[in-house]
Amino acid sequence: MPRVSVIIPTHNRPARLPQAAASAGAAGHDVEIIVVDDASTDETAEVCQTLAGIRYVRIERNQGVAGARNVGIFESTAPYIAFLDDDDLRLPGSLDLQADALDQNSDAGFVCGAMIMADQNHQPTGEIIRPRHAGGDAFWELLELDFPVMPLSALIRKECLLRVGLLNRQVTTIDDWDIFTRIAEIHPVLTMQEPVGSYRRPTPDSAQGSSARASQLRLAARHQRRLFLLPRAAALTWKQRGAIRRRTIDRVCETLAWSTVNEHLPARRLRAALENIGAALALDPAFALRAGFRHKTAQKLRREFRSA
Amino acid sequence: MKTPRASIIIPTHDRPDRLRRAIASAFAASKDVEVIVVDDASADETAQLCASIAGIKYVRAERNQGVAGARNLGLVASRGEFISFLDDDDLRLPNSLDDQIEALSRSPAAMLCYAQAIPEDQTGKQGPPFPDACRQGDIFWDLLKGNFIPCGSVVFRRRCISSAGLLDDSISRIDDWDFWLRVTELFPVIGLKTPVLVWRAPARNSRQGSSETVEVIELAIKHFRRNCRRMPRVARASRRQRQQSWRAFSMNLADHLAWETFRSLCAADFSRAWVCARTLFKLHPGVLVHLTWRWTRASTIKTFIAGQHEPEGMKIRFKEIRSIPDT
Repeated sequence: MPRVSVIIPTHNRPARLPQAAASAGAAGHDVEIIVVDDASTDETAEVCQTLAGIRYVRIERNQGVAGARNVGIFESTAPYIAFLDDDDLRLPGSLDLQADALDQNSDAGFVCGAMIMADQNHQPTGEIIRPRHAGGDAFWELLELDFPVMPLSALIRKECLLRVGLLNRQVTTIDDWDIFTRIAEIHPVLTMQEPVGSYRRPTPDSAQGSSARASQLRLAARHQRRLFLLPRAAALTWKQRGAIRRRTIDRVCETLAWSTVNEHLPARRLRAALENIGAALALDPAFALRAGFRHKTAQKLRREFRSA
Repeated sequence: MKTPRASIIIPTHDRPDRLRRAIASAFAASKDVEVIVVDDASADETAQLCASIAGIKYVRAERNQGVAGARNLGLVASRGEFISFLDDDDLRLPNSLDDQIEALSRSPAAMLCYAQAIPEDQTGKQGPPFPDACRQGDIFWDLLKGNFIPCGSVVFRRRCISSAGLLDDSISRIDDWDFWLRVTELFPVIGLKTPVLVWRAPARNSRQGSSETVEVIELAIKHFRRNCRRMPRVARASRRQRQQSWRAFSMNLADHLAWETFRSLCAADFSRAWVCARTLFKLHPGVLVHLTWRWTRASTIKTFIAGQHEPEGMKIRFKEIRSIPDT
């Protein structure tokens, strides 16, 4: 029986798939690579035929990322599960490292490592995103969106998935946040500072990535209400829940505003900027009046003017 | 570790009284079977009960998943090449699973095999097995009109899941219908005209069962409008065929709702009758004319008054959407 199953969902994007699969194979000794082809209509099937050492699973009807990952979980035989997107890379040895960590801590639900940010050609940009948590009980931080966990950097114990349920297809863009929060509710979390994956940033020029981000954050803010139904959150007083809600919305608005001011406005992407501001206003109508945001915007604008 | 030939998945939630019998019947259904009990966050003694039964695979969900979510967890835990679901209050007949697997092995193209179920009411009285006609091959359009497949009677190949996806856990209680639809859209199926299951009907007069019926019907209508019409085969079909299947589907549900309304009125339960009638009118405002004509012609009302029997074809009360065989 393999030790780790790497699940690579893919849909009509065969160009970078071989690289991702190869990186998964090099990331551990006893790895089962499952490529879940989510009803691709192009040459993905032929590309997968040429890849050695993978298991190819084809879904005939499109299920979305979460549904495809669930089918991957169904097909997997290993006790540990890693998700890998078809355009990201796992670093060599990283799966062994994380599996060892989970072996040593038998009650941990998942282990989260650091990520190297890379550009379109997988050249590291020098930026490394490390987990902002020391490990242990991370439920509240995850619930508040204070501790982002990317699926690329995590290795999950399959047994824990059976305890909290599979990925939620209803929230297919934030299914990772949803599942990590649900696992962290009943299991402690491990973190490690070593980089385990290389994450390809979406092209800065494409406004698509960022508007997807705005809708993702909005969805997250909405979905948080459902996560409040989890027993540990439901046991709080409404005042405590309100405080969590407040902090989350502040954080989301700040992220949206920051990306508007720092990324979209300098690049003159007005549509994305408006979408972000709209999303922030929908969540918190008074956010533009908050002191922090005003100061930051003013500073930024001043700098812009000076450089111009 | 040897891979078993078949897996039977039994989701359960706070109902240990009949579970032991269900598990025993599952073991008797096949010579080479693994029985997976998915305990959907039960708060009672289900866990102790399962610990006392040897040979089962016990999966406990700490957070309630609903029937579909629990079945999905069972699927993930399963290893058998052939998979079957069993409800915790139903019974599999001895050797029935092996017979169905045999039938599937004989025709490699078929992905799913269903068969008949014997309904049993709360007192243990058994009725004639349903569905009457076990159609084979491509049953997609028949199934679209209403679910006539008893959930526990189905055995399907593992590949069904990887081709059609897991169950949709947002529509618990019609999740099986949705899954059979997705499978039959792609593959031919086998229908065996032999009973394989004893299906325990929900308490006839329980108020809860009835309001549940209305809820399930509403869910099914929503699902049909939103998702079934977008299935590639439906979307590609002619307008006439689409309309035909919608008409048959809505008539099927309208029959149920009308019957439910009628029964509630007889039992002087006016709030329930109101709920049913409201759903009925929302479904199809002109339905009353049609139903009156149909029911008089079928002289069902007469038989009801004479013998206090339910009309033919409505003997089956459904836990999930049980369709009426075409009258």
